[in-house]
Amino acid sequence: MTTPTLAHTRRASPLARSEARAGWLFISPWLVGFAIFTAGAMIFSLVLAFGRYDIVTNTVSVTGANNFRDLLADPKVATSLGNTLFYAVLAVPLEIVVALCLALLLSRAPRGGGFFRTLFYLPKMTPAVATAAMFFLLLNGNTGAINRALRAIGIQGPQWLVDPAWVKPSIVLMTLWAVSGTMVIFLAALHNVPHELYEASALDGAGGARTFFSITLPMISGALFFNVIVLTIAAFQIFDSAYLLFWRDNTNASPEASLFYAIYLFQKAFRQFDLGFAAAMAWVMFVVIMLVTLVQVRLGNRFVFYEGDQR
Amino acid sequence: MRRSSTRAIPPAPSTPSSTAAPSRRPRGPGRRAAAVGAVLALTGAAAACGNAGGGSAGEADFTGEPSGDLHAWAFDNADDVGQARLDQAEAALPDVTIDLDATAFDSQKFTTRMASSDVPDVVQMDRRVIPTYAAQGLIQPLDQCFTAHDVTPDEWWYPAVVDDVRWNDHVWAVPQFYQPPAILLNTRVMAAAGVTADQIDTSDPDTLMAAIEAMYAESGGVPVTLGLDPNPVGQAPLWILGSGGQLIDDDGRPTLDDPSNVAGVELLKEIIDAQGGYAAVKSLTDSFDSFGDGNQYVTDQVGAQVNAQWYPNVLSPYVGQVELEAVPFRDADGNPFSVAGGTGFVIPAGASNPAAACAWMIELTSMDAWEAAGAARAASREADGGINTGIMTGSPEADAAIRDKYVVPSGDDGFDQVIATYYDVLDYGRTFGASPAGQDVQDELNNAITAALLGDKSIEQALGDAQKAAERAYESVTKQG
Repeated sequence: MTTPTLAHTRRASPLARSEARAGWLFISPWLVGFAIFTAGAMIFSLVLAFGRYDIVTNTVSVTGANNFRDLLADPKVATSLGNTLFYAVLAVPLEIVVALCLALLLSRAPRGGGFFRTLFYLPKMTPAVATAAMFFLLLNGNTGAINRALRAIGIQGPQWLVDPAWVKPSIVLMTLWAVSGTMVIFLAALHNVPHELYEASALDGAGGARTFFSITLPMISGALFFNVIVLTIAAFQIFDSAYLLFWRDNTNASPEASLFYAIYLFQKAFRQFDLGFAAAMAWVMFVVIMLVTLVQVRLGNRFVFYEGDQR
Repeated sequence: MRRSSTRAIPPAPSTPSSTAAPSRRPRGPGRRAAAVGAVLALTGAAAACGNAGGGSAGEADFTGEPSGDLHAWAFDNADDVGQARLDQAEAALPDVTIDLDATAFDSQKFTTRMASSDVPDVVQMDRRVIPTYAAQGLIQPLDQCFTAHDVTPDEWWYPAVVDDVRWNDHVWAVPQFYQPPAILLNTRVMAAAGVTADQIDTSDPDTLMAAIEAMYAESGGVPVTLGLDPNPVGQAPLWILGSGGQLIDDDGRPTLDDPSNVAGVELLKEIIDAQGGYAAVKSLTDSFDSFGDGNQYVTDQVGAQVNAQWYPNVLSPYVGQVELEAVPFRDADGNPFSVAGGTGFVIPAGASNPAAACAWMIELTSMDAWEAAGAARAASREADGGINTGIMTGSPEADAAIRDKYVVPSGDDGFDQVIATYYDVLDYGRTFGASPAGQDVQDELNNAITAALLGDKSIEQALGDAQKAAERAYESVTKQG
């Protein structure tokens, strides 16, 4: 006969119970907010996805899987999903590389590091509308600064905001402008890499590249993993930069190439008032993001090193 | 007909309200189940909850004496003209307390307000989307409102303006403004190229193309002066309808793939291709400092450009720096032709004070209001020394009254000719068409135009694809209604 463990038999002390109550009390505002504004809204949208919402009477009539069938039959859903995937595949690796390069530069700055950290972080603080207005000028195919610079070195730049082939790269450029949030996370991770490791590698005669790939990268792999997941989710939800550059008025020159999933969802919900269809789209995106994240977690577990791991 | 005051009418019964459905109570064996149940109940209650603000699209009574609180929304950015009309309407309705939310219209906010029973009494919105809201039952037909105030829409407004908001045999809005497009000429560029105004004739493509090519200039492979900026996306309906096309049928269904629409796109493509192609033209026009000192007429970046009536007003401070004239856009038969949008006032379903809402909308578009607006604009121009280009109200009678009283010779013959031309085309307006999928028809038309101009698709294929997408939008909106 096995003896019951202490954990199973001992009742929590009055102090522990009091602390638990205090804990619940402290997090209760968040829990209530989560229940109402996140979980409640998600469940409501799930109900909507299988129904038709009448705004006038504020009621939902169940229509089964009709919205999902309509979604499969609408070619714009596939177009917008394809555009979004293309953007994510292009944007996420570039954001990681640029942010990591900036963080490496800053971590090695002997002096003035604080100034440059602030300078590099400023784009993150700039409102999206201002950033879009700036890129609207920068990316002008005839008179924009980027094409002028390219022209100066003998390259005829593309029509960034008009040519469908360059629409998504132009949004990626705009995204890279505000990459400093990711950079800061990398910077913090770089500061946590023990110096002894670098000293040991120097004694062993390792070069810069070897040190980076054998020490730095593994030691910041947790931050890298976090950034990849967060940026991927953000990329799938891209809305504001594309909307501001292309959909702010009726003069969009590349409506098909700039139709991202979240923009089409917004159009279905608030222009055609097909909220059931939009909710179905939202749940499809939720599943896509969940699957992609699961794959990333599976892969990440093989490569990510956490301090304190027994491996 | 002269509309000048609101009739006194007997009180109206209250607007019906829908009832709230019963909410569910959580049941379950365990705490976890109870918690999940609570969330479900909360959501279920939200889902099943009726619209306490009314939410009924039933016939409202507009015949009551206008009184009480009136909640209006989206009369935003009121300038001298807007403020004068607001003041006039307020003075004409002394028993009505007006609460004005002056933020811009936003469909998301509208939806949220409807769902949360915070229904405004009056909303200003773009005429293009009004049939969409009508098809959803989100706004009320206003035929009885017009009857109650002795207004005959087809007499008070231009037919094209009323047709914008007439759908399913009802008029759904009190429309305002009709600012038609015409072709604004830069005579300095034209003279340098040896082009005369009569050559800018859209009914004579061969002559027009020769004039465009004579004025067009590029530097380093990039256009620097356009012979004619046709504004191909923003003014696509003008080019297509003016060439004999049809975008929406009498029932509101899109007809983008109608063969008659090809001619207008072909002409646009010819004009754009002669000036470096769509990408280059779009990038140039995107770089125009349209509202600034370096605008395209001051800097000679255009020889001619299709512009709405408000744009000469923008250029009026630059008199002396610009040399302007205007010619009408002409249809295939050589007649002046115009298509323009505008805004309108609507009463949402479930509005609590429809009688006051109706009276206020009617007052805002009455002759008294427009006369006040005309006086205010004249005073503004007198104060700043600018040119009064007139106000295009959407009503022929009000337009004529304001023109006769306040639009005086400016001292610049070119500007005076421009002002006269825009007044001349007012009588040649045609509606874009009213459709529950109006905004989608516009967007899909833009898609087709850009795809055709970029050479991604043939014109027929682009219009065919646009038609399929617009049809889907039409089905989507009408199935919701």
